Amino acid sequence: MGCARDLLLIARWEVKRAAGTMTRDILPLAVVLFILLVLVTGFSATRGIHLQDGMYRAGIDDPALMAVIGSDSRFVVDLSDPAYLTTHMVDYDLVIIAGRATGTRTDRSRAALLTLKRDYDRYSNLFYARQQDLFAAYPLWVDLQEVKSELSFLATQQGERAASLTPSDEPPVPEVAVEILPDPPSAIGISEESLREGLTEAAGQDSQIARYTDVIGPGSSLGTFRTPSQLSPPLPFDSIVLIFVFIFPLYFTSQFYMMSIMHERIGRQGEPLLTTPISPSAIVLGKALPYLVGMIAISAGIAAWIQTPPIVLLPLIPVILFFLGNALLIGMVARSFKELSFLSIFFSTIATSYLFFPSVFANVHVVSLVSPLTLIVLTLQGTPFTPSEYLFSTSLFFLTSLVLFYTGVKNYHEERLFSQVRLIPKIREVVSGIIPLAHPYAALFLIAALTIPFVFMVQLMLLVVLFNLPMPLSLLLLLIAGALVEEVAKSIGIVTLISESREKLPWRSVVFGAGATAVGFLLGEKLLLFATLSQISESIFGSVLFLSLGALWPPLILHFVCVLVVAAVVRAKGISWYVPGIILATAVHCLYNLTFVLGWLK
Amino acid sequence: MKGSNIKTIAKKDLASLASERTIVLAIALQLFVAIFSSFLMVGLTSIYDPSSLSHIGGVQYPVAYCGNDSPLRTYLNESTDFHLYQMDLSTAVAALKERKLSAVIFVSETLPNDKDPVKVTLYTIKNDIQASIVQVKLKDILISYETDLRRVRASRLDQTPVPLTMPHTRSGSTFYEFLYGLLIPLLVFMPAIVSAALVIDFITEEYQQGTLEVLLTTPVSRAEVVWGKVLACTVLVPVQAGAWLLLLMVNRIPILNAPLILIHATAYALVLILIAAFCALHYRERTAAQFIYSTAIVVLLLFSLAFPENPLNALVRLATGSAGPGQWVLLGLSLACIALMSTVLTWYAELAVGEAGGR
Repeated sequence: MGCARDLLLIARWEVKRAAGTMTRDILPLAVVLFILLVLVTGFSATRGIHLQDGMYRAGIDDPALMAVIGSDSRFVVDLSDPAYLTTHMVDYDLVIIAGRATGTRTDRSRAALLTLKRDYDRYSNLFYARQQDLFAAYPLWVDLQEVKSELSFLATQQGERAASLTPSDEPPVPEVAVEILPDPPSAIGISEESLREGLTEAAGQDSQIARYTDVIGPGSSLGTFRTPSQLSPPLPFDSIVLIFVFIFPLYFTSQFYMMSIMHERIGRQGEPLLTTPISPSAIVLGKALPYLVGMIAISAGIAAWIQTPPIVLLPLIPVILFFLGNALLIGMVARSFKELSFLSIFFSTIATSYLFFPSVFANVHVVSLVSPLTLIVLTLQGTPFTPSEYLFSTSLFFLTSLVLFYTGVKNYHEERLFSQVRLIPKIREVVSGIIPLAHPYAALFLIAALTIPFVFMVQLMLLVVLFNLPMPLSLLLLLIAGALVEEVAKSIGIVTLISESREKLPWRSVVFGAGATAVGFLLGEKLLLFATLSQISESIFGSVLFLSLGALWPPLILHFVCVLVVAAVVRAKGISWYVPGIILATAVHCLYNLTFVLGWLK
Repeated sequence: MKGSNIKTIAKKDLASLASERTIVLAIALQLFVAIFSSFLMVGLTSIYDPSSLSHIGGVQYPVAYCGNDSPLRTYLNESTDFHLYQMDLSTAVAALKERKLSAVIFVSETLPNDKDPVKVTLYTIKNDIQASIVQVKLKDILISYETDLRRVRASRLDQTPVPLTMPHTRSGSTFYEFLYGLLIPLLVFMPAIVSAALVIDFITEEYQQGTLEVLLTTPVSRAEVVWGKVLACTVLVPVQAGAWLLLLMVNRIPILNAPLILIHATAYALVLILIAAFCALHYRERTAAQFIYSTAIVVLLLFSLAFPENPLNALVRLATGSAGPGQWVLLGLSLACIALMSTVLTWYAELAVGEAGGR
């Protein structure tokens, strides 16, 4: 009870303090800037983004061609007579004479021709959509029916194709009883007018992403129907832009929390508060509370504004907690404002990539569920997410936030807050803050288990980055990178213990410490895998990243040996030998994976 | 104002930056953005077009053909990408569900010259990369069939589109526009934004840590302090941007006009840095100054991008070698801006810092 009262008290003070700094003369200017921002967004949305204007130079001999490329600002177009154009070919990236396009041999010219081709496709689509007899202009319609299969992630990722590499001559025979399917009707069942509307809309969409690649297109507004040229996997572009709207305010607000924590440390301003009987957890959480409420309120406001179901707030909550947890630690370790800036920019870029890139694959691949934002994309598209999907994509965020806050609270005391040490030693100090001297092994066990969610996060990110490379290469890169991440995570605790302890740690303790770490890591890994990630862990990618659920002794020995390698190297040669130690341990880990998991060396 | 004093201040700030080593993070960050975005592009392309990676070629996707006979059947048979089976629809869909097929195609019985369109029902596996690949491969075949049908029905069209034939040369790289039109301006401009945020940290730190008074007891004038910090941040811009260009060129991505790009980048950065310096001097407190500065920058960037010949566009055109005379106007404008703002800043620095001393 008393703790809750303290927490609310701190929260009230925090609001008062924040309001105090905000009032001076920020508010009027902020309001003006906000109005300007809205106006400018509308302005540039109507005028378009002119980033690539005038990249190419085109020469044409027929003014009718202006209908094709005249509206593309990437081209500077000269209308001239054919004779002039033929002699001045080198001045242009492409020249169109008598309906025939030619280019030079430069990269820019080739790119210009590609752009021209896309412009021409767009032009023809708009042109045909205007024809009286729509079905003469579009004589072929594709009805795309998606059939649900078992979770396909595994099969595709194992490099298996749907059938063998050289298909047999006999048609495949299904194993289960065949469900009788009626032949689809010949009629389309959509009125000509709405088809025409959909076509015009699709052709008019100048999606910025379409400039870089034509393999992903905007979703069709015609349900399952599309013309052959619209047949590309849809990119949920609009939804992705919308989630930017959700995430952007969260960055700003977590910055305020970060600064508020930093503020306590400037000139020891937070000292009086620490001398009161209010517990550090009440201070840390109390200060976070107003920002948490504020962020949820902002998100709810945005959800109401764009008229989405309020359920989109559910995936946002773990993201908000994660942002706040990181803000807390950055605010606690940064020595100066510069460091605060760099750390926060660094963190937010990485977090953004983790959140955004998987959601690009929202309609294509299960791996997209790694990011909670995919759930928002799905909701915006009208498909509600299931509880198990929610668990899958948010559990890591909940767990990591919990660990971050725990670490923050444990270190929120005078000695840590007001010391001015370098970043890396500071992080080491913060880690040692959760190692009580009386029970170092228990602490190592705990730290190893606590790193698991972070390890999984990094490994899943690696998976997102690497899974789309060609098969043997992606697996190999994933294997090495995954092992490296694990070794670094496992070594954190014990290396901290070795380098922070006053006298040299006895060898016996090094061995026992490695053992405690190995057990903690294995236990955490198994628990989390069992709870959430069994889908991915059973694929071949999973088997190189995460140890499988079954075996117990081999992975335990592996963890023990690898931790011991790093610990022994650091204990014998000093902290400057940390990197070689990690490399050695990674090599051992990779060899183990190659031998036992993939059986390549047998 | 003495140049040597400004230099001393700049050196002091750069040294503090170097000793914290966090600048490494800023550079790592930019590298991360570059790697990640290129990965995404390469990844997306290779997913949907595996033939771009030659050793994956030669894969035949098993596809079932059901329903009425049509030229589509011939096209599919001729294609090396597909292995075609004539099957009954129900059996084919059941086999598809068991992933024994990549796609099932059913063609309606509509005649080529019918009033109604020909309808192809395409069954694929939901949420599957392979389904996406098959779609992309089928797209070309379906477009050929569409072209055939259009020819049959051509007499029913009101007009014909402007004819255009493309040359049969190797098609251009999808990456060109991404690289020159997005990544390069981003990488060159990022140091400018980072440097401007940095100047706020430099200035507000002196206020909030209370180190400014100590600094002012030395024979350094107030404007010199501010200019030293501006100088330190400005120097970083061409160094960082130059490193990027060098890295790209080492990777055999030719960049034209590199020195000119650096001059442009530095000029634009200085404009941003001066704006940031005003914010910092006005608020003397990091949260407020950063907040106002970053919002103002977003407004400014969005506004300038709405016009042709904006700074980022100038970087794109310089790098591709297609810059017109407009870039000189732009550079001149930024220099004029800098000259004006510098004068005001010198005056304002004395004023603002003076107040602080009086308190």
